[in-house]
Amino acid sequence: MATAEASVADVRGHPVVRRASLIRVIEAVIGASIFLVLLQILLNFSLLDPEFWRRYGGSFETGIGTTLRFVGIILPLSAVLGFFLGWLRISRFRTLSWPVAVYVDFFRGIPPIVIVIYASIFGAALLQVRFAGKDLAWNVAALALAFHSAAYQSEIFRAGFQSVPRGQIEAAQALGMRPTQTMYNVVLPQALRLSLPPLGNEFAVVIKDTSLLAAIGTLDLFGVSQDFIQAVFLQPGASVYWLLTMWTAVALVYFAMTTAVTQVLLFLERKFHVRGLEGVSV
Amino acid sequence: MIRVEDVHKYFGTLHVLRGITLDVSKGEALVIIGPSGSGKSTLLRCINLLVEPDAGRVFIDGVHVNRHDINREWVRQQVGMVFQSFNLFTHLTALENVMLGPIRVKGVSREQAEDKAKQLLARVGLAAKANAYPAELSGGQQQRVAIARALAMDPKAMLFDEPTSALDPEYIREVLDVMTALAREGMTMIVVTHEMGFASNVARRIVFMDGGVILEEGHPQEIFEHPKQERTRAFVSKILR
Amino acid sequence: MGSLEDVRRQRTRTFDTIAAVVLTVGIIGLLLEVLVGRYGLSWTYIASAWPIYLRGAWVTFYVTTVAYIVGMGIGFIIGWARAARVSVRKPGAQGAAVFGVKYTLRRMGDGYVAAIRGTPLFVQIVFVSSVLVIRFSSLDPNQLALIAGLVALTANTGGYQSEIFRAGIQTVHTGQVEAARAIGFSRWKAMRHVVLPQALRLVIPPLTNEYIGLLKASSLLLVIGIVELTEIGRREAFFQGKPFESFAIVTGLYLLITVPVSKIVEYIERRLRVPGLGSQQAPTTRV
Repeated sequence: MATAEASVADVRGHPVVRRASLIRVIEAVIGASIFLVLLQILLNFSLLDPEFWRRYGGSFETGIGTTLRFVGIILPLSAVLGFFLGWLRISRFRTLSWPVAVYVDFFRGIPPIVIVIYASIFGAALLQVRFAGKDLAWNVAALALAFHSAAYQSEIFRAGFQSVPRGQIEAAQALGMRPTQTMYNVVLPQALRLSLPPLGNEFAVVIKDTSLLAAIGTLDLFGVSQDFIQAVFLQPGASVYWLLTMWTAVALVYFAMTTAVTQVLLFLERKFHVRGLEGVSV
Repeated sequence: MIRVEDVHKYFGTLHVLRGITLDVSKGEALVIIGPSGSGKSTLLRCINLLVEPDAGRVFIDGVHVNRHDINREWVRQQVGMVFQSFNLFTHLTALENVMLGPIRVKGVSREQAEDKAKQLLARVGLAAKANAYPAELSGGQQQRVAIARALAMDPKAMLFDEPTSALDPEYIREVLDVMTALAREGMTMIVVTHEMGFASNVARRIVFMDGGVILEEGHPQEIFEHPKQERTRAFVSKILR
Repeated sequence: MGSLEDVRRQRTRTFDTIAAVVLTVGIIGLLLEVLVGRYGLSWTYIASAWPIYLRGAWVTFYVTTVAYIVGMGIGFIIGWARAARVSVRKPGAQGAAVFGVKYTLRRMGDGYVAAIRGTPLFVQIVFVSSVLVIRFSSLDPNQLALIAGLVALTANTGGYQSEIFRAGIQTVHTGQVEAARAIGFSRWKAMRHVVLPQALRLVIPPLTNEYIGLLKASSLLLVIGIVELTEIGRREAFFQGKPFESFAIVTGLYLLITVPVSKIVEYIERRLRVPGLGSQQAPTTRV
């Protein structure tokens, strides 16, 4: 996916290159359609089974809505926290950078589902006194997911900050800029641009991670689908092939969401791209 | 104009500057030569306080500047610096690079800063490249923008740290021409360089530094043709090849 | 010899380090205090129950390693296929056919990787599981779950590893094959003796990270009933009423493996930094 974007970024707005990325999109759509058709033939199911959609459709919508809502909370939260932590991480004061390092190592070292499960246990009980409600466990777990992603994002931002050549910071100082001015006018504009591509990746991961909330019973897209499995085997007239239909549809939705997010960030990167800014590797 | 009085600097246990005393009068163009590691860059950075001297005093226009209570940003506005690796802000155009300092540090209005920046870019011969980004400019062009950027702050003096050492040979001339013109106009400047032609043309005095001390100073003719010290002779013969 | 500045800097540094340690330990201590205070800590439980957790850890390790190795084979092949540049078309019908085949294979590889990276592992697991349930309904459910889990994990890591191999090969590829052939190597020999050795060096750190990532991702197999480490922890937390202890053990076991290995990889990466070789990091498994 990276190669088309590289050529676009090199030549801003050149018409020939726009055509190339359009071709890629058409290729992808055709390819995906062919693939879906073949899949249905091979596994003997139908993506458009009307009876299935009659029963599942409502849950499908609800599930998507819940997932989007969680994404809407977790993404901004984790980004802000991750940015702030990344900034602290490069401080020359160990008092600031060490705790952050420990935080990052901890959250990157354990599986996110572990965080979800135990956050729902501990968080819900610890906070029960203050905030009651059945959604409490879910929200605490979602918060925990935000903390988890923030750990990864802090590393992305840290790499972004460190990619700005030191000489430019010196030059800014030589002009008489205060540290805050240097940060705001020289470091930040470049660090943020450099962070965009890996950030898009991480955002896609966050979207996928929301499915983990189903492990504690959340009715996100994955959760409602799991619930519906009971219906498949209990209701009359249900076909076991509905499993395939359902999961394929669910997969397509997640795919659409992750693709949308990465494309938006790639678009932003292209829009603000300045030649001479090298990429960041995280 | 600029006075350095018995300045010492340590990096860990390394005694980089061992008691440098130097006077640069107003309007003078001083050239410093010497082998790498002799402390030339460190000396320059002690003047605009990018590096803090461990001992000794630095005066700019009569003001003692290496004090605890000094406003560093003010000091750096008095003295402009041009770096070996240009250090242009890659996310800004040439014009924006030159405008940034006046707007953010001096609080000049955008229009005024823009006018001034255009004038300065014209002065260094890059009026046509105002909207180009550093990555689109050659090394020589980038360095000239860097000079314009430093001049935009209306400094009383300019410090040049090996400004042409990172340039391809064909671009050295254009930068030296700008610096020569600047010297002719009466700008006080300290230039660390290996360019002997430039030194002979522009400098009234050349200072030879080695191992953290000033070994010799004098007229360009004296230093190049009749160096008094052995090490000066050895160094000069190597670069005058 | 130093100076006043130097001495002051040293003192600040020491104070800073001490403060950092105190702050870190303090925060961790505080959190533990709250949790232990709320949920208690039973050492007898830990002493008696840890074999159960180890059994779970073994399942985690076993599943991860099998999937990783098989996935590596898949990943290498697909990665190589996708790294190869579009070669010059031979004229005529034969040329068009060859190009057509290469194109289709490459696009299939692209699609496969996109599907793996664009969908959650949870969905991949249950999808494979559904297919197996339908096709092989006669199988013992535990066996079925294990096979489904292994297939899904393998497919998943295969996709991510193919990206790693592709990036590694591509980073080296440019110009080197030409140079090698100018000396007289055939295309295959150039690959074997020039490109691959360098690519191998580039590929080891991200591949190690991928193993760690897969280890963590294997926790998702609990959704089809595989009893790996996290599932053990969850059951002990709920059914034995020992949430804090199970949290401590599960977290401890994961961190025990992931943190040291990550640090070693970071260290190796820093040492292995070949100047002139870009650091192309492909994204690794993050569920």
